Formats: sequence, structure tokens, C-alpha cells
Amino acid sequence: MSELKAPNGDRRPIFIVGVGEVGPVAEDPRSIPEMVLEAVGMALADAAMGHGEIDAVVTASVDLFDGLTASNIAVTEVVGAVMKSETRIAADGLAAAIHAACELRSEAYQTVLVAAHGKASMSDYRSLTRWAMDPIHLQPLDVDFLICAGLQASAMAGADGGAQRRWAQLAARRRASAVPGALAAAISAEAVLASPVLAAPLHEGMCAPLGDGAAAVVLSVRPPAAGRRSVRLVGMGHDLEAHAMGDRDLTRWEGLGRALRRARADAGIASEEAIIDLAEPSCLYPHEEELFRQACAIGDETAISPGGGLFAGTAPVVAGLARLIAAVRGLRGNARYHQALAHGTWGPAGQGQAVALLEAAD
Amino acid sequence: MRHVAIIGTGQTDYASNRSDASQPELVREAAKAAIADAGLRPQQIDAVLISNMELFEGRALPELWLGEAAFAAGKPCLKVATGGTSGTSACISGFHQVASGLFDVVLVVGLEKHSEGQTQTGMALTDPFWDRAVAAGALGNFALSISQYMAERGVTERQAAMVAVKARRNAARNPHAHLKMPALTVDEVLASRPLAHPIRLLDMCPQSDGACAIVIAAEKPARRLCPRPAWVKASATRHEQPYIGDIDRRLVTMRTLRDAARGVYERAGIRDPLHDFDVAEIYEPVSYAELAWYEALGFCREGEAGRLIEDGVTAMDGELPVNPSGGVLSSNPVGASGVIRVAEAALQIHGRGGERQVEGVRTALVTGYGVYAWADVVVLGAQP
Amino acid sequence: MNEAILVPIEMAATWRYASGAAMERFCDGLRERRIEALRCGVCRRSYLPPRPICGNCHAPLSEWVSVADEGRLEAWTVLQVPMLDARTGSIREAPYGMGLIRLDGADTTINHYLAESDPARLAIGLRVRAVWRPEPRGAMDDIVHFEVLR
Repeated sequence: MSELKAPNGDRRPIFIVGVGEVGPVAEDPRSIPEMVLEAVGMALADAAMGHGEIDAVVTASVDLFDGLTASNIAVTEVVGAVMKSETRIAADGLAAAIHAACELRSEAYQTVLVAAHGKASMSDYRSLTRWAMDPIHLQPLDVDFLICAGLQASAMAGADGGAQRRWAQLAARRRASAVPGALAAAISAEAVLASPVLAAPLHEGMCAPLGDGAAAVVLSVRPPAAGRRSVRLVGMGHDLEAHAMGDRDLTRWEGLGRALRRARADAGIASEEAIIDLAEPSCLYPHEEELFRQACAIGDETAISPGGGLFAGTAPVVAGLARLIAAVRGLRGNARYHQALAHGTWGPAGQGQAVALLEAAD
Repeated sequence: MRHVAIIGTGQTDYASNRSDASQPELVREAAKAAIADAGLRPQQIDAVLISNMELFEGRALPELWLGEAAFAAGKPCLKVATGGTSGTSACISGFHQVASGLFDVVLVVGLEKHSEGQTQTGMALTDPFWDRAVAAGALGNFALSISQYMAERGVTERQAAMVAVKARRNAARNPHAHLKMPALTVDEVLASRPLAHPIRLLDMCPQSDGACAIVIAAEKPARRLCPRPAWVKASATRHEQPYIGDIDRRLVTMRTLRDAARGVYERAGIRDPLHDFDVAEIYEPVSYAELAWYEALGFCREGEAGRLIEDGVTAMDGELPVNPSGGVLSSNPVGASGVIRVAEAALQIHGRGGERQVEGVRTALVTGYGVYAWADVVVLGAQP
Repeated sequence: MNEAILVPIEMAATWRYASGAAMERFCDGLRERRIEALRCGVCRRSYLPPRPICGNCHAPLSEWVSVADEGRLEAWTVLQVPMLDARTGSIREAPYGMGLIRLDGADTTINHYLAESDPARLAIGLRVRAVWRPEPRGAMDDIVHFEVLR
């Protein structure tokens, strides 16, 4: 167990008091407001709170993925942002949660609701990701996020002849531990290697399918009611790497290393002492999990994605917030876990990275 | 909230087509200027926030591409987008991030390059089952609200034209402004091309290319670096129901702006806005809106806004100069417009207003506006 | 370097939007020239368009109320420049009238076209009535525009 020294002794702890998640499913027939309404309702119920106790809202969504101008308009009513403060972070949902934590630390608010949504089924999500690439140098080549993942995987597999087999085995293992009803069924390593190559060396069986989902989390400086193991957000950090693939060392997730260092500094944890019992990374491909373990120096003492992580499917923008929720549930439900790490990423080959460190209070 | 202050600002020149610079170059120009104005080097920025309505340029996650231009590579960098309030929302998010103690210095950069996109198409992606049934755009929607405002409060086209004249004449003394018209007259505004009754071309804001940046610092570095920091005294945000028809007589009531202002005034100790503020940079997408905001912000009683503009109360030499920068009516890169309001108010307190400097500014009001009736309100002061 | 290098990129994207249950029922009603709003059980406000909850009260909406296809003109304008019609993708030529109409039975107003495009003949308070297309298909443009009842 690690010693936690709060860098600022009078800093108010941030509790994650409510969580709610909808999906991911391949296609949710409901509208975005309906999906987010359900997730928010679950989170509020879990927190035993009503909208009247929420001081502000932070949402995560991307206009182009939603096909809507200022797409947070669609959720204003269902997140309870009418006549209230709402800001939208247009990146992964975990980044929105981190911003919400900043709002709490700033003492502007006591309780903040975070909500994220994404529906990959609405569009050709993969081709929409081209519009996030440098329009002068990269987009004209039809580079998209999947291709960038392939480039990163290729850089890693370079001199590593066993990489593909290892990745296939990891993908199979993670899919096998996914909940029933997940987007992608369990699959054997052989079947992964036999599946079509989508962006060499990534086979289809190695790529997490993207679907529809919504998630919501309630963060508060007010301690939750007794009766359940409470979970605190003790450290956070995020980072943006360089955009052009050639400007980065593709064999590492350096940005994640920086994000984690910042999160540890924020939490007052010296890295030699740090033991993470549970890690919930946002990895869409097996090579990303290896990058994650390397950047976070995660060894065998850490349980990684006991519920399968994202490998069985996720929704864009929601993923990191869903990881935060998984980490919270893991800490609540397992007395052996004390420290957890939730991870979010966005952009090509993990260009944007976010880390939240959680601790269960006994 | 812990004390935070704006210690530097930077702006590009605004124009309908900045073909001389790419989007990253515009971001870099503003960021570099703001960081230098703050007396810092880029390495000393702890985190970056970008404000951009990227759908207008047909993009997604623009900070991935533009982050480096804002010196954000290897740093925490997020993007805020909330329609027209993106800029003020990003600045308020920056205040929260610095006040959180997580960062000592945060750079906020707002950008829009309308000439590189199809803004009309971007704005047309409204609710496909409802709003898209009618082709009105922001123009038609403002005109509808204006018909109600005129009917209830009795403002005239002439009074609105005075607002348009004030804006463009003020802009003539702002080296960055897009529409500089030092000799614009009310008659010229009234003779300009009709767009949507009663709005005429010169009543409306332009679409501009450009970027604007501010540097926000925590108290210790602010005092060390800046001789006259612009302290954030209070800020508030209010969003609204999603359809124009939900909002009862929008320009007349504007409950979001009124409620945000009320809360901010209370926390900032403002009792008599007209006299307590030395300058105001308010987000006015159309001339009539500025009149409506005078009433909503408590500069005058309901129905008195026309008299206020006629009496020159909000002119540069009036009791409360409104928009010495020329406002959104003179320069409007949407993702940057809210940042410009904050930057212009801050530089008034910094004493860096040049020809548009109002004398002795100690307290400044900033507002942001977007979507149908979203509102941000910020008060800056020479003392924390 | 005097000339800018332009990199042209054309975007073509398609999205499939889910209407949501309330809007689905509303659109089905339009097929029969029937307009229904949802009333909030707390504030008693009748909402058009119908939607999952009342944003002011946070209460789920389930009480459907009948709304007439005529009502009061609460705001108006005449567009004098051509505008992109997002539904058809083509340009709608000017001049054309637009209004916010409070249909009898609804508390919110709907934004729609007006048959009248002469500003001198428009005013707040006029009674207007929907003109329906001959074969409604279940969309808001089943109403072609609103005519002023004189």
C-alpha cells in the first residue's frame, strides 16, 4: 500500500459518488438525448442525488461524430444544464471528468455531473476520423485513426516476430472476460489471426468494435452517504503528443508517461512507492495495452481490465469515462483493491492521453 | 474561487480572408503574442485550452492538429466548444483550471477561419427533425426575436443603427479589427442591404478569420510577472432549452444572461452596473442585441436602451463605454470572439488599449453569447 | 512567397439520426395532419417539439395534448437574402416570410415559414393557419407554410 501525501494539505477530496452507463451496443435505436437521459438517471440514482444538487455540468461530445452543430445542445435538457453552468470538452470523456475535477478543486462548485455520448452507428465513423488529421499533409492521403493505429502497431512489431501471436492471444483473453451481450463475442487467438487484416498488422479480431453508448459520473466534494466503499479521485493528468506520426516515437506512449507523472505529482505519490491494484486502460487494440503497460510501468501485481476492457467494444468519446466507471466499480466491489488507474485516450495512435488515479477509502 | 488573473493577451488581425496564414499560423501568432505580452516563454505555459467551432471548417478534434501551434505538444491540452460562447466558455474553463491549483499558468487560444470552411453548412446541422425544416439561420432567428423586442420595448431601427455605427467607428481605432469604418453614419446603415426584416447588412456581425489568446496565471506568478493583472472577480455560465420556440420572447427576457449577471454582480460587489463598471465588452451578434443586453445587464431600466445609445452613454466618451474594440459587430471569428471579449476587457485593465484605451479602467464586464440564448458573464478587476 | 497554396478537400458525409420516441409519435401524427405536444406534469407547459423531459422541471414528459394547426403569430420576419435550405440542400430564394407561431394548445412556439412576404402586411398577433402539403409524409415540412387569416 502506498503512502499518500496530499501536496496541498487543505485540498478538498473529490469523491466519485455516482456512475451510470448505457451500452455499448452495436446500434442503439434511441436518440442521443434518450441515451444520455438514461445514463444520467442511473448516475444520479447511484449518487442518491437530484439535479437540484448538481452545481454544474461538463459534457463530452464531438460535433462531427454527432452530425450536429454544437451537439451539446442535444443533451442540455437531459443533463440538467438549463439555467446552469455547462461546458463541453470535445475530447474523450475522461478528459471531461478531469476538467470537472478542476472545477471542484477551484471551489467554484461542490458537485459536478459529467456526461459523455457517442454513436458510431450513426455514420461511417472511421472515415470521419480523417477530418481530425492535418488537412494539409495527412488528410489528402486518407489517413484515419485506424491507419495510424496500424502504423504504430507496425512500428512495434518491426523486429518483434512474436508480436502478432501475442496480440492475438491478448485479444482473445480480454474478449473472453467481457460481459455477456458485449458488441464482440469471445474469439480464439487462431480466429483472430485468421480474420481479415484491416490496417496491417492489425487483424479485425484485434480491433475493438465501435458502437453506441453514453455514460455519466457525479463528482462531489461532499462525502457520500455511508454504506458503500467510497472512492476518491486523488490525482489526474493529461497530455497531448505531437500530431505528425513522424514526430513521435511510435514504439512508446510518451504522452501517457507524462500524463501519469502529472497525475502522480498531483496525488503526491512518489513513483517508486506506487502500486496500482487495478488498471482500466482505454485500449482499442492489443498493442495499445502493451504501450499502456510500458508507459505506466505496470507489472503482474496489477489487475488489468478484469472485465475485458474495451476489447469487446466501446463507443467513441465515451470510452475513457466508461473506464473511470469500471475502475470505480472495481474498487467498490473488491476489498483487495485500494488504488486504481483509469485511462482515456483520443486522436491518432494515442496522441491525447488522460489518467485518473483513484483510491478507495476504507 | 482562488485568485487568478489574466496577465497577457495576443490577437491576430481579423479579416474576411486571411489567406496569408494557415489555421496553425493564426493560432501561433496569437499564442506567441499573448505569451510575450505576459512576459513568459512558451515553456512556462503549463496547459492549453483551445476554443474553436471546428464544424464550420469541416473538422473534428482540431486541437490534435493545432495544439503544437499553441505550444501545447507535450502538455495538457483540451478543446472547448459551445457555439458562440466557446471563447468565453474556454476562458472560464481556464480560470477554473488555474484556480484548481493543477496549473500555475494556462494559455487559452480561440480560433476561427471561416474562409476555410462552409459556415452556412456547418450551421445548418441543427436538429434534423425540427430546426432543419426551416431555412432561417442565425439571421432569421435574430430577426424573429427582434420583432418581439421592438414590439415590446419600442426600440427603433435608427437606435439599432447607432449601435452599428458606434461599433465600426470604435473599430477604426483597433488595429486588429475586421470592419473599420471611421466615418460610418446611421443613414448608411439604414441604406445598407436588407437581410431579414428589419436587419440590414450593417446591423449584422461579419464572419472573420483570426485568433485571440490570453494567459491566465495563479496569484503568485501573476503578481510577480504583471504590473497590473486583470483579476477574475467572478464568472457564471447559463445554458437554455434547446429550441428557439422554447424561449419566451428571447431578446426581451434573456433569462440566462440576467441570471448569470445577477450572480456575478453579487459576488463581485457590483450594485450599480452603469457606474460600477468602467468598460464593458459584450458579445453582440446583431445591433439590436446590444440594446437588449443593456437592459438585461442592468445598465438601464427596461425600455430605456434606446435612450442610452441616443444619449451617448455607451460611447467612448460616455459613462460606460461598451465595446471599445468594435465588438463582435466589427470582428467575428466565432471560436475566438468570446476570447476577444475577455482579452479586450483585460487589456483595458492592463492599460494596453492604445487608441481605444478608456481612462482609469478598474472594473470591466465581459459577456459571451451563443446558440439561442446561452450566456457567460465575467467581471475583471484591477484588484482581486 | 506570394501565392497561397490551396489544398481543396471536399466533404461528403452521411448521418442517420434516431428521432427518439416522442418525436417519432409526433411525426406519425403529422402524417394524419395531427399535431400533438407533450405537457409537463409539474409546470404544465406544453412542449413543441415533444421531447423526453422538461428541461426546467427535470420531469419525464408523458402527457400528450392535442394542438390545433392554427394559432397566433408571436414573432415574424421576412428573409431578404437567399438561404441554404438544409433539408433539400438547395437555396431557398428570397423574399420569404418566417414566424414563431404559438399554436392553440401549445405553450412553446414553432418556427416556420409564412405565406406572406410583405413586411407591411405582417404583425405580431395575427392569426395564422397551417397549409399542409397534399400528401404528408411525417415531417415538419408537411406543413408548407402558415397563411395569415384575414
